[in-house]
Amino acid sequence: MICLHKPGGAIAMAAALLLSGCASLSGDGGFKAAAAVSEQRTGAPASVAGRLPQNDDDGRALAAVIEQKLAQPLTANDAVHIALLNNRGLQATYWSLGIAEADLVQAGRLQNPVLDFKRSHGGGALEIERTLTFNLLGIITAPMAGRIEGRRYEQSKLLVANEAVRVALDTRRAWVAAVAASQSADYAQQVEASAQASAELAQRMRDAGNWSAMDVAREQAYHAQTSADVNAARKGAVMAREKLTRLMGLAGVQAAYKLPGHLPDLPAVPSELADIEQVAVNERLDIQAAKLDVAHTASTLGLTKTTRFINVLDLGLVANSEGATNTRGYEIALEIPLFDWGSTRVARAEATYMQAANMLAQTAINARSEARESYADYRASYDLARHYRDQVLPARKKLADETLLRYNGMLMSVFELLADAREQASAVRGYIAAQQDFWTAQANLEAALGGRLPAQTIHQESKQGDQP
Amino acid sequence: MTTRRSFLSGAALIGAGMVTKAGAASLPEAPVQSSSTTAPPLAPPNGRPYNPVVTLNGWTLPWRMKDGVKEFHLVAEPVVREIAPGMTANLWGYNGQSPGPTIEVVEGDRVRIFVTNKLPEHTSVHWHGQLLPNGMDGVTGLTQPGIKPGKTFVYEFVARNAGTFMYHPHADEMAQMAMGMMGFWITHPKNPKQHAVDRDFVFLISAYDIEPGSYTPKINTMTDFNLWTFNSRAFPGIDPMVVRKDDRVRVRVGNLTMTNHPIHLHGHTFEVTGTDGGWVKPSARWPEVTTDIAVGQMRAIEFVADAPGDWAFHCHKSHHTMNAMGHDVPTMIGVDHKGVAAKINKLVPGYMVMGDKGGSMGDMRMPLPENTLPMMSGDGPFGGLEMGGMFTTMKVREGLARNDYKDPGWYQHPKGTVAYEWTGETPPAPRAPGVPEVPGPKPAADALNIKRDGGGHQHH
Ligand SMILES: [Cu+2]
Repeated sequence: MICLHKPGGAIAMAAALLLSGCASLSGDGGFKAAAAVSEQRTGAPASVAGRLPQNDDDGRALAAVIEQKLAQPLTANDAVHIALLNNRGLQATYWSLGIAEADLVQAGRLQNPVLDFKRSHGGGALEIERTLTFNLLGIITAPMAGRIEGRRYEQSKLLVANEAVRVALDTRRAWVAAVAASQSADYAQQVEASAQASAELAQRMRDAGNWSAMDVAREQAYHAQTSADVNAARKGAVMAREKLTRLMGLAGVQAAYKLPGHLPDLPAVPSELADIEQVAVNERLDIQAAKLDVAHTASTLGLTKTTRFINVLDLGLVANSEGATNTRGYEIALEIPLFDWGSTRVARAEATYMQAANMLAQTAINARSEARESYADYRASYDLARHYRDQVLPARKKLADETLLRYNGMLMSVFELLADAREQASAVRGYIAAQQDFWTAQANLEAALGGRLPAQTIHQESKQGDQP
Repeated sequence: MTTRRSFLSGAALIGAGMVTKAGAASLPEAPVQSSSTTAPPLAPPNGRPYNPVVTLNGWTLPWRMKDGVKEFHLVAEPVVREIAPGMTANLWGYNGQSPGPTIEVVEGDRVRIFVTNKLPEHTSVHWHGQLLPNGMDGVTGLTQPGIKPGKTFVYEFVARNAGTFMYHPHADEMAQMAMGMMGFWITHPKNPKQHAVDRDFVFLISAYDIEPGSYTPKINTMTDFNLWTFNSRAFPGIDPMVVRKDDRVRVRVGNLTMTNHPIHLHGHTFEVTGTDGGWVKPSARWPEVTTDIAVGQMRAIEFVADAPGDWAFHCHKSHHTMNAMGHDVPTMIGVDHKGVAAKINKLVPGYMVMGDKGGSMGDMRMPLPENTLPMMSGDGPFGGLEMGGMFTTMKVREGLARNDYKDPGWYQHPKGTVAYEWTGETPPAPRAPGVPEVPGPKPAADALNIKRDGGGHQHH
């Protein structure tokens, strides 16, 4: 005897078929949407062909783009672009978006029906039981799950875009640090060269009988110290460069990229930003994600409050609201909760809402504070770097010129000339550090404001040359 | 510039420091000198006759006779002195110059000197070497109160003994003398024929420490001065002493620095004929070519200029015939710069090797800090003179007019009287026994091949 257990299966199957049409994969895992946000915020496209690299052709296209960028000394913008294209951690995040989308689509689909065939002997009778099992619960919850996953998916897109913006800013900071570190190492080398010339000349002075062993030892000790400083500076430069390399996801021959010899010049004027707190609140993706979270919990809370039922009922009623056609299909199978789980559910939902609301408030407070702090730091860093450029360096230059004049007049010795060259280099190092602080502060400000600085300031700066 | 003639005629008395008749009707005029050239001798227009002196790069103060008293007017004031062409100094002086004008009087003259103070602090004048009433000696606090800024004091005494003297402040001396306040004083003998000479030059020795690139002396410097001057002028800013062959010449020198100066004349022997204490008896004089002038002393030397030519006249301390120089610069002689020079040049563009063959910079003319004289400069007929500071020349020429002090130019040597290069075979130079062929460290390989670019910084 063949019997079909599972009453109501046909209805359920019909409902499942209906539901399955609600969601489908976008084909790019939602990447385009996230990439559009990150592109707007970072100023660099996050893909080569408008999609994530998936096959060898994509890989070759990506490699070609990177190779072309690495052909000349790497600008900050190119470094950011490469990181967006090639940072594997970021790629993984992009794919997580695909996972979220798959979840969403999956949530809107029925699980595949299971056909169970059972054949048994007993007492000379053969019984064959065939069971077609559907995940009834899945059918009922699918519409709600779709909505929940839909919001989560939207949030994921924002968080992925935020991650891209973060990687971009990290890369920008790392580029500034790497260029500054190699520039500092060059200057350390210049100091060392001057100390070496001093030490060498000191030895010649000794060879000619003009100087004592003590005079020579003093110069040589100084030279030894400056050699150590060069090693330390080179070490720092390697670390800074490797950090940038990691962010750009480069390896092998690609890791031999060239950096420019020095940081870009300061912009003619610093950006004048009004309402930075408002900009931060409006633009920051973490705030938008938190807002979405609050909206999400709010709607859940609203639902919970009106229904006061737990999971299944909840979902059933939601499903009910989707369309009357489904109602009959699962009503018969629903269980009425035996205990008053509804009130605890509401309390939990309320608590969840309040949690999200407070998280949003804190995020906004943090954002406003970060905006103020980073803007103040940006302006102060600009002033300091400008002071170095307009006051310290010209004064050092003047001092060097005057020292040379005194050397010319035999009023000062060549050793004083060399000592001055060393001091001059240390002033230049101070300027490099101040420049690094400024460009880092600008990146931090951009991070605090949720992306790049307003267009007109970018425009002003770009006149000054390449900017990080 | 106000020339002697113009202020003698009473016309065109100029200068910010001048005391006007309207402002001080009872005071004699206070003429002002702005030029640092040597003024011709001032023949006395009235009073007892005398043979006037020539103040090297300076001038003599005119006076007014009033009721038989010679009245002078000194104005103590800040001045700008040209130390040599290319360099000026912010000094303090009298009547527009440092040193102040020479005061010339005659033994027995009653002298009244008005001193107006236009300095920012009190001052006084001490009449160094004069025999006078104690209250006229000009020592602030001891014999008089300081002359406050804007005030005028009167000194009056009889110039009792003939001789060579000076005047300077005895108030905040260290600052005021370091700033250049000083002047010469001559008391001529009543009889102009007594000690008469044909040319009588006077100057005061002073030293300044003016940081290269600055204008005002560092008044706290004790010994490490960098400008050694005759009448606040450094060579090549010191005029030559021009004399006619066979003239009897007197040079009177006073020392207001903080060290002694062995003053040396070439081509002649001289005798010290006077000090600030008076004339040396002929029997006590001895021949010299150098006489040391101690701090605060005056010396008069005399000789007959019987040898035509351009004769060096200078302090014999070699650093005193240099201008500003670095006293801490190490000796570079014999230091091989090969390889190192290029490295330094990379670090310091414009650097060129100096001093490895000695201190001479040859014909190099390198840019210097502003208001700084080259360490040794001045050109002669045979090239660079490599002198600065306390150096000038005694130019002895035949057939000059009695009062002609004009620079006659370089001496034209009679044929065969100038040292010349020997091109014949060089006989072996005898060596002291046991002395090695090349003593000491080996000289740089190209020591004999010095070539320097006159204009620029190009490395050789
Ligand atoms: Cu001397």
